[in-house]
Amino acid sequence: MSTDSLFESPQELKAALAQQQYIASDEIATILYLSQQLGKPLLTEGPAGVGKTELAKAISQATHRELIRLQCYEGLDETKALYEWEYAKQLLYTQLLRDKLQETLGNAESLAAAADRLAAEEDVFFSMRFLLQRPLLKAILSEQPSVLLIDEIDRADAEFEAFLLEVLSEFQVSVPELGTLSAVQRPLVVLTSNNTRELSEALKRRCLYLFIDYPTIEQEMAVVRLKIPELSSKLARQVVEMVQSLRSLDLRKSPSISETLDWAKALVTLNANNLDVSTLETTLSVLLKHESDLQRVKRWLRRPSSGDQLNHSGDFLSPHFRN
Amino acid sequence: MEDRILKFISALRASGLRISLAESADAFQVIQKIGITDRELFRYSLKATLVKDSENIPVFDELFPIFFSHIDSPPMMKIAEDLSPEEADLLAEVLQKYNQKLRRMLEKLINGENLNNEELENLARMVGLNRINELRYREWLVQRMKRALGYKEIQLALLELVELLTQLGMNKERVNQMMQVLYSNQKAQEDQLRQFAGQRLAENMSENTPEHNINDLINRPFNSLSERDMAQLRKEVRRLANILRTRIALRQKKAKTGQINAKATIRANLKHGNVPIHLKFHGRSLKPKLIVICDVSTSMRYCSELMLSLLYTIQDQISKTSAFAFIDHIEYISPDFADKEAQQAVSKVLDRMPAGYYNTDLGNSLADFQKKYFEMVDSHSTFIIVGDGRNNFNNPRLDIFNKIARRSRRTIWLNPEAPTLWGSGDSDMLKYAPSCDAVLHANSLGELTTAIDKLLIG
Repeated sequence: MSTDSLFESPQELKAALAQQQYIASDEIATILYLSQQLGKPLLTEGPAGVGKTELAKAISQATHRELIRLQCYEGLDETKALYEWEYAKQLLYTQLLRDKLQETLGNAESLAAAADRLAAEEDVFFSMRFLLQRPLLKAILSEQPSVLLIDEIDRADAEFEAFLLEVLSEFQVSVPELGTLSAVQRPLVVLTSNNTRELSEALKRRCLYLFIDYPTIEQEMAVVRLKIPELSSKLARQVVEMVQSLRSLDLRKSPSISETLDWAKALVTLNANNLDVSTLETTLSVLLKHESDLQRVKRWLRRPSSGDQLNHSGDFLSPHFRN
Repeated sequence: MEDRILKFISALRASGLRISLAESADAFQVIQKIGITDRELFRYSLKATLVKDSENIPVFDELFPIFFSHIDSPPMMKIAEDLSPEEADLLAEVLQKYNQKLRRMLEKLINGENLNNEELENLARMVGLNRINELRYREWLVQRMKRALGYKEIQLALLELVELLTQLGMNKERVNQMMQVLYSNQKAQEDQLRQFAGQRLAENMSENTPEHNINDLINRPFNSLSERDMAQLRKEVRRLANILRTRIALRQKKAKTGQINAKATIRANLKHGNVPIHLKFHGRSLKPKLIVICDVSTSMRYCSELMLSLLYTIQDQISKTSAFAFIDHIEYISPDFADKEAQQAVSKVLDRMPAGYYNTDLGNSLADFQKKYFEMVDSHSTFIIVGDGRNNFNNPRLDIFNKIARRSRRTIWLNPEAPTLWGSGDSDMLKYAPSCDAVLHANSLGELTTAIDKLLIG
């Protein structure tokens, strides 16, 4: 595979992602392909833990591009996202260069002349040397094409979103002391959102939209088999079927793929070769993160009817568990 | 093809999606790149460029096959081909029995012909397909078209046909075989009808723009809104709230560069030997705390509901909202909004306190408020009343109102009634007005939004 070339077709992209252990559906592959073809940012939405962030990581590895990640949170602002002057370093340099400065300014006749000379040297202190590059600027200035992941954009404030809009549409930023810096190589931009709040229409308009939902049984099986090959296929199927049926319950936090994987790993560590009651009871907390959910699922498992149904599909509940 | 895509886009718009020009241009750009040979690829491309909200994906999935697919059911089969001459004669003889219309339909099924355009157009005229532009009528229309084609009679005729043919000595197995084909042909015909109805409906949708321009609706007075208008407005509230939120957030951002926070500045600059290099400003203490009292009597219902939904959608820009509803007494309704949409919450509240005739009594409600919730009002809170100030000649309890107004930071009254009517009849508006910091007139969703924008300024 050649280094950093655009993919020729969605199928090729899908294969490349599969090499990075990311199983993409046709939809994901197609839309990601479109995004790199058009140079448009990709906005992915969906429940937590379905692999939105993983997608960005996988694509950066598949294209051999550097992944630059900007994690959003409430209160994130330009100084944390774009750039900041490194004051301490500037101060330190001023101290160390004092003698040299004295020399430059020493033989000035008047105060005004000294100020003029100092102004002439100003560039030294406001140069790239003292510019602390934050993710956005780093992605813009990167000589090599990169992948910019803006994670959980819905957590940032609305005003940051407006600011991001500027950057994403032009791929240039202006630093007052330095002038306008524009992108050397347009990065591939992936935004993720958990939809905790509505994003602005303007931002959505500029992006391609991809909704990633919970995977189907087959897809999830494939993921589990790929990531945790040491799990027996029978147990893997039981695990996936269990998780899928849990998702149909009305839980506060439905288990996502990452939780399925954690659970499968836990089972491997415990050397379980079958899902019996005690394993299930002890490891369920890996899967469910709320106490109320845990109680609910335990009750649900004890219900004879659901037990039958599960038994039917998974055959992992011992008879006495069914009451 | 382009025409088809454009029609598709306007049908999506007609179903309530907001698709901008830039987005439809994107769709065309993508299609140019990707071509239309691969149907799935085509579908994903349109989806990624046109649908930007997971809620709208089902609408897209419903409309897409109507515009861009051919009938998937197996093609109709011709029976005549594998009939022996004797059998064909038998069949022809039996068919003579039926009247002309029925015979034609049966022949169509036997010969495996689809309905032609003219017949479809006739059907469309008969069932009024051209006047309807809502997709939910699709099945109903298919049923009507089936009735118009005489499906019931055909069904009976088919049963009869079986009997007659067997009586006349045709091999039973052959008859069964033939029936199988006939039934599947009939199924295919039904699919054709369904497809036709869907396409026609979607085309109607894309040609007829929704009745009211939404902007017109936003500016329409509350008292001339119908329940249907309200349904449309409720959808709009979210969008308006988003605009509002962005505006408020930007304003607060600017407001941040106000006063220097001396304490924080000193602390932050300790590492620079207390040379104030990093300046720290007082953050957003601007998020207001709101206490809203809404009149939910019949005349005020829509106004209050929209006000509350707007407020609850921009909750992240407000530090706390306590909502109350009143007709003749007061109720604390914030808990209702915790996990519900505003509309459901309001209707639940109304279930609890049904509107009677002329029983609005703000005076009594204020007294109630003073008794139970007075401690909620403090110097940080903005006190908002949404109401028309019509008290049915009850005691307005100005004393309590003044007390609340003095205690809160600001007191704002939102009144949907025109200022010229204030003070007329049973309106106590002019009595309350002097204690308010502002009395805003908001008689439509548009005005309401502007009013909220104003009251959140500070």
